[in-house]
Amino acid sequence: MTSLKELQESFQAGILAGDDTILGEVKDSAREQRTVLFGVYRNAYVARLAEILGNDYEQVHAYLGDAGFAKLVKAYIAANPSDQRNARWFGRCFPEFAHATMPFADHREVGEIAALEKALSDAFDGPDAQPLAIADLATLPAEDWPRLTFRPHPTAIRLTFDTNATTIWSALKSETDPPKPQRLPEPQALLVWRQAFMARFRPIGAEEAMMWDEAVKGVRFGVLCEMVATFAGEDEAELRAATYLKGWIDSGLLAGCQVEDNPA
Amino acid sequence: MLANKPPYLGFGLGLRPQHYEEILSGNPAVDWFEVISENYMIPGGQPLRILDQIRERYPVVMHGVSLSIASTAPLDTDYLGALKTLADRVEPKWISDHLCWTGVHGVNLHDLLPIPYTEEALDHVVDRVGQVQDFLGRRLTLENVSSYVTFGQSEMTEWEFVSEVAKRADCWLLFDVNNVYVSAFNHGFSTDDFLHGVPRDRVVQFHVAGHSHEESHIIDTHDHPVCPEVWDFYRETATHFGPVSTMIERDDNIPPLAELVEELDHARQIAREVRESAQRTAAE
Repeated sequence: MTSLKELQESFQAGILAGDDTILGEVKDSAREQRTVLFGVYRNAYVARLAEILGNDYEQVHAYLGDAGFAKLVKAYIAANPSDQRNARWFGRCFPEFAHATMPFADHREVGEIAALEKALSDAFDGPDAQPLAIADLATLPAEDWPRLTFRPHPTAIRLTFDTNATTIWSALKSETDPPKPQRLPEPQALLVWRQAFMARFRPIGAEEAMMWDEAVKGVRFGVLCEMVATFAGEDEAELRAATYLKGWIDSGLLAGCQVEDNPA
Repeated sequence: MLANKPPYLGFGLGLRPQHYEEILSGNPAVDWFEVISENYMIPGGQPLRILDQIRERYPVVMHGVSLSIASTAPLDTDYLGALKTLADRVEPKWISDHLCWTGVHGVNLHDLLPIPYTEEALDHVVDRVGQVQDFLGRRLTLENVSSYVTFGQSEMTEWEFVSEVAKRADCWLLFDVNNVYVSAFNHGFSTDDFLHGVPRDRVVQFHVAGHSHEESHIIDTHDHPVCPEVWDFYRETATHFGPVSTMIERDDNIPPLAELVEELDHARQIAREVRESAQRTAAE
């Protein structure tokens, strides 16, 4: 008798690879042939995973239309059998897959729309943390500011797009006609995070992106001000850095700060 | 009566995101909620906050779809750890999953796959249920699934298999009324044989749901209202088992909450009629 282990391997191959060996182990019913009955499992597998991706990537679906999205989804399912207990994470490689799979790879905005949707989902149910408040910094002596380091909110995600994917996403989200895809003259930096239980995103300029990227590495505020001065001129560099910082705090993008002990 | 049997909760619904706001702002006539465990095995954010609010107001039970208790792949300790963490937060009245497997070799087919009813499979499942119960520190509740194929190698009926698992592993059972109906149709057995074949003292919950009839077979889609035939079988089930926590299960084409509450009221009405009939019989 086929062992339970062999039977399950054969059953799985029947679903994933269309292998019919398993049909030797199952019986016709009084009303139906085994091929049709086993087909229920085959059909359900693809349909369920397609439904998961459709829920996770609604705007990619809207952008590509039913036929285009179905093609991408079918290729993804074939290339990525789910290794996740939780269906929530099945589509986690979908943006990279779109970037790497023809003909979608030639349409960079597709993978970027997917990356934005994934980041919004990840921010939506990412870890909880109390955001840093302006009041937390109000009593800090002026001489401590240069030694301040910051901790980003755990839901914060930094993206950089080469196309106008965010504009396309916004149009699709509001069910209006999306603009034509375009390569941007300069890459567009973005921050995605959760504030008040809502996932949001904000395009940011190159200077703010540079300061964010350094800040999340633990670089001190004094050094960040110097980097901002180097990036776009010394004139009001500290004010620019303070403005970015205040914007992050107001938006709930930071979860903490501390004054480092040693001089920089 | 078995020790520590979970309490009778009345009539519940599956908690679905479409109904969050209405549940929290209104006061729907629902006695308890069942949550899909995996939907809340996430780091944080709104879904967990809402779950915290729901559990402050209603008894909650956890229902999983990925335990894969019958798989020959090793038990997934990360999954079990996440399940236990969620249970510590939710303090569910019980934790259920399905008597099935979902994949091998690290793959999850996201489906409730059938088991051959053999002594080998029985030994395997009983051993795994024991391990999971030891890990969770509580009895597990297992649900009979709908199935579409039967295996030539099966040595016993589904109800014999289910019963043996429950007795030998010392776990509870979730009797899915619709799944018994679906599998009985698909495999040509009698729903009554199943009903009378499982141990009454092990059953702690009923599921009642809709399905899709494909003429030669029925698919357990949970996307329709409960059909008259399943309501009839629910009446028989309620008569046989007496009061058991009952839930309407809808996973797709999710209607407004009021529609599900109406279906739940129908279940209540049937249970009331069954109880009154039993009282009349006892008085005679």
